[in-house]
Amino acid sequence: MNAQTHISQPETKTREMSYAEAIRDAMAIALERDPTVILMGEDIGTYGGAFQVTGDLVERFGKDRVMDTPISELGGAGVAVGAALTGLKPIYEFQFSDFAALAMEQIVNQAAKLRYMLGGEAAVPVVFRMPSGSGTGAAAQHSQSFEAWFGHVPGLKVVQPSTPADAKGLLLAALADPDPVIVFEHKLLYKMKGEVPEGYYTTPIGKAAVVRQGKDVTIVASAIMVHRALEAAAKLAKEGIEAEVIDLRSVRPIDRETIIASVKKTGKLLCVYEGVRTLGVGAEISALIAESDAFDYLDAPIQRLGGAEAPIPYNPDLERAAVPQAAGIEDVARKLARGQV
Amino acid sequence: MPTEVIMPKVDMDMASGKLAVWHVAEGEAVKKGAALFDIETDKAAMEVEAPASGILRHILANPGVDVPVGSPVAYIYAEGEAIGPAPVAAPPALAEPDAAKPAAEPEAVEAAALPLAGAADEAPRATPVARRLAREGGIELAALAGTGPKGRIQRSDVEAEIERRKTPVAAPAPVPAPAPAAPAYVMDWTPQAGDLHVTTRKGNGVPLVMVHGFAADSAGWTPLERALPRDLPLIRIDLPSHGRSPLRRIAGFADLAKALVQTFDRIAEGPVHLLGHSLGGALSLALADIRPRQIKTLSLIAPAGLGPEIDGAALNGIARASTADSLAPWLKRLTARPEGISHDFAKAAMLSRLDPALRSAQQELAESLFPDGVQAFDLTAALSRVTAPTLMVWGRDDHILPWKQALAAPGEVALHLMRGVGHVPHMEDPEAVAALIGRHLRP
Amino acid sequence: MARDTQENLPFAIRAFSPEQLKEALRKMHLIRLFEEGAEESYMRGLIHGTMHLSIGQEASAVASCMELTDADKITSTHRGHGHCIAKGADVGRMFAEFFGKETGYCHGRGGSMHIADVKTGNLGANGIVGGGLPIAVGAGLTAKRLGRDDVTLCFFGDGANNEGAFHEALNMASIWKLPVIFVCENNKYGMSTAAAYATAVPNISDRAAAYAMPGVTVDGNDFSAVAEALHIAIARARAGEGPSLVENLTYRWRGHSKSDRNRYRTKDEIEDWMSRDPIQRFRAELVAHGIIDEAGADAIETAAKDAVAAGIEFAKAGPAPAITDVTKFVHAEEAA
Repeated sequence: MNAQTHISQPETKTREMSYAEAIRDAMAIALERDPTVILMGEDIGTYGGAFQVTGDLVERFGKDRVMDTPISELGGAGVAVGAALTGLKPIYEFQFSDFAALAMEQIVNQAAKLRYMLGGEAAVPVVFRMPSGSGTGAAAQHSQSFEAWFGHVPGLKVVQPSTPADAKGLLLAALADPDPVIVFEHKLLYKMKGEVPEGYYTTPIGKAAVVRQGKDVTIVASAIMVHRALEAAAKLAKEGIEAEVIDLRSVRPIDRETIIASVKKTGKLLCVYEGVRTLGVGAEISALIAESDAFDYLDAPIQRLGGAEAPIPYNPDLERAAVPQAAGIEDVARKLARGQV
Repeated sequence: MPTEVIMPKVDMDMASGKLAVWHVAEGEAVKKGAALFDIETDKAAMEVEAPASGILRHILANPGVDVPVGSPVAYIYAEGEAIGPAPVAAPPALAEPDAAKPAAEPEAVEAAALPLAGAADEAPRATPVARRLAREGGIELAALAGTGPKGRIQRSDVEAEIERRKTPVAAPAPVPAPAPAAPAYVMDWTPQAGDLHVTTRKGNGVPLVMVHGFAADSAGWTPLERALPRDLPLIRIDLPSHGRSPLRRIAGFADLAKALVQTFDRIAEGPVHLLGHSLGGALSLALADIRPRQIKTLSLIAPAGLGPEIDGAALNGIARASTADSLAPWLKRLTARPEGISHDFAKAAMLSRLDPALRSAQQELAESLFPDGVQAFDLTAALSRVTAPTLMVWGRDDHILPWKQALAAPGEVALHLMRGVGHVPHMEDPEAVAALIGRHLRP
Repeated sequence: MARDTQENLPFAIRAFSPEQLKEALRKMHLIRLFEEGAEESYMRGLIHGTMHLSIGQEASAVASCMELTDADKITSTHRGHGHCIAKGADVGRMFAEFFGKETGYCHGRGGSMHIADVKTGNLGANGIVGGGLPIAVGAGLTAKRLGRDDVTLCFFGDGANNEGAFHEALNMASIWKLPVIFVCENNKYGMSTAAAYATAVPNISDRAAAYAMPGVTVDGNDFSAVAEALHIAIARARAGEGPSLVENLTYRWRGHSKSDRNRYRTKDEIEDWMSRDPIQRFRAELVAHGIIDEAGADAIETAAKDAVAAGIEFAKAGPAPAITDVTKFVHAEEAA
């Protein structure tokens, strides 16, 4: 799979690398730039991480800065919170985002709220990396998409990079942020290659990207759904339907302006996300359009494509059916564009 | 100094506590830490201990009394201490400028007071952008056929209509587009034949005949009907050129009263209770004067005809308005709380006024009844002749008809001047108005 | 005084200067009077929500913090007023926080359950049982990683010892040899449930063995005993030898929170513990060893009373937060 890159500085020297390599590159740059940065997580040392994202970093930076933690997600996340509270900048890797359920207490009750509860007298600059999403055959407890869960918590920031360049830029932005940030990395994207700027740069948190221009229908997608939306848009273009595709990039804060501007242009909105459809990210996007002045530009009911109301199943056909695919996106976008919804 | 015994806060969200029982009687000795009294909260009963040793005096709260947190309930005097005068219950501690009280209260956002008028289900289906373009282009959505799913009017449908109107010699436009600058006033409307439209609700006993006001219709009674006794039979009459009644040319008040009497004679099977609002009030008064034996009781809400003053601009504005946007400012004059008139309310009200011919007929009627912005008919003499028990309800914030006109009523009329209510008491406070009418009808 | 006589003196009398000991007595009085003042203010409706009083546990708070500096950190619990004062907080700003004022330590956002004074090293009380344990380990990790010699003292109650976070935190502190002292204030009840019923081991300090660290149980109402146990644990932490677990046996005179109806304890039990008041006991000890006379001790108590009264006045006078600032402090200002 090859990424459409959307980098603001085209002059920058780039290098082709995979999404996983781009994340590793970001972590290596951070470890070099800032002695307070540490990596924590289960099997991130010699093993190189469950998805080989940390790779050889332990050899380059040592066990004190690339720390294997016991299988203690609650405690481990809490140690990262306490370290961040007192002067370190930890990046804590969960093996699967699903396991963050074990650490909800420290992420939601502590990290997200400490600055507020202490009246601004404390900061928790921690980054939680969470391999996320379905498509690996790992079934119900290793395939979920929790961005809406965490996006619901004031005090957290939540990003979902869809390209190698953004994976690096958003991770470095997360680390530079004085508050806790959760980075959802899509497991199916780890091997995706793309051009990535060299050296240190950040991709702003809270800014979506228009990755394809169009006038007939707006598709707002995140993570791997961006690629499926682009695939659908390419097919629709052959029929004369021009879909505009927005890569959400940040779930919290959400980029209202970019979405509103696009919907005012097209009058049609399709939200595509992998998390469970009900009460998901698409609900928030739909609501923000309904509440904004873009409402008066809508020419069709807003449509959402999200995960099925079921755990992620094991059977590969069921698994594919449980989350939006390009063909489904194409179908709904076409009907929207033609005024048939 | 005696020790103050207060009603303690013993639970979150507790603002006051009910004193359940005293374990120590006034004048008895008590030891610090001993059970002094019980309080009942929402959750449970709880024992309160004596804060000091001594003699219990000045019990200020008896069992069963709800006492604010922090207020004294009694005093404990040390052995031998001189007893002071009996204190009165102090204001609660919360009265002092305190604590968690925010520096500024946020603006209270209150829900619209007025319920939506009926007919909402008859609205054409259209997308938001189609509605906006139609609004901007002065196009009635009802005149368009939608090509979307289930006949939904889409952007393309409105755009096609705009294109069509740009072509002058094309097929004749079914609905002339009102020029934005000039009022949507069509003089050449055609009078229609037929009886006035009447609807009924079945029930037991003497029915209540309801006559609405100018530019309203029977749907406007809905909030009041919900609050009136369920078994009260109702007969609602739509006035000429109103609601579903035919459009008619009316020469003046007498002509309009004649139309009402004709309909009344057609439908009345015996004596009735009669209720009228505003213009409908004046007409009811006329009807009661003409058919005194047919009327058991008369109820008048802000009736017209009792003085010259009337807000003619508002009546004309309502009759003339061709969009929700131009209607809303006039609707706001009807009520004491204009913030209750939302854009949605105005849109819903406009739905029953979409027919330009109806609006024109009403404008003509307004000209005939209220020339130069005065009430050209006087029913004070009729009011003095009415023998049926009469109830009059008026809002003190009525901007259309000043409540002081109510003072024209003779002494036997029961007069209710409602505070914080405007020209439509039966919509602004239907429960209160229903209660008054209910007692008037079935004392 | 001869050396062998010296050694017979209680640890605290030997280890601390008269000024330090008098200051400790002052803080114990201040905690007691602060909480009584808070209770009174609560009953008068000046304080919102609920709170958890530590009256009866003052020796544990003050003695545990005796050897800490502002560079050392503590994590505290929902019953954290005493810890906050012991670590050096100002009672006026604490009252202001309880009254929901902008002048409070947390600008009115935290209240009793999140009282903190980051400048004196108090990382905050915590509304989640066991919430502070992993955070303390993280603070220990920071000290070790940055080569600082400060330590982190982690207060928690008997209830927290059955939370998963306790076990994960102790294990990690031990495998990484972090400078953390886990101080369990065992006041016999987690809300209404007796620690003896809820915990599989007789002493909570027995848990230390599972994580290869020293564990000791002391009389938490004996100032000197607590100070001595902490002296050993802090020295071990500062020397880089890793964490310890100290269990202070103590008792809260009041209910769990202000909503407690006290149905699970007998009056006899409460009165028995009240007769072992840690403040009177410490005061008598200081008088007996000639550190202070009765008049001097009375003067300390009076001064603490005045400080509490002044603190309440300061709190009442402070401004409330602006309603428009409801989302202030959710994120850093520059990043918001």
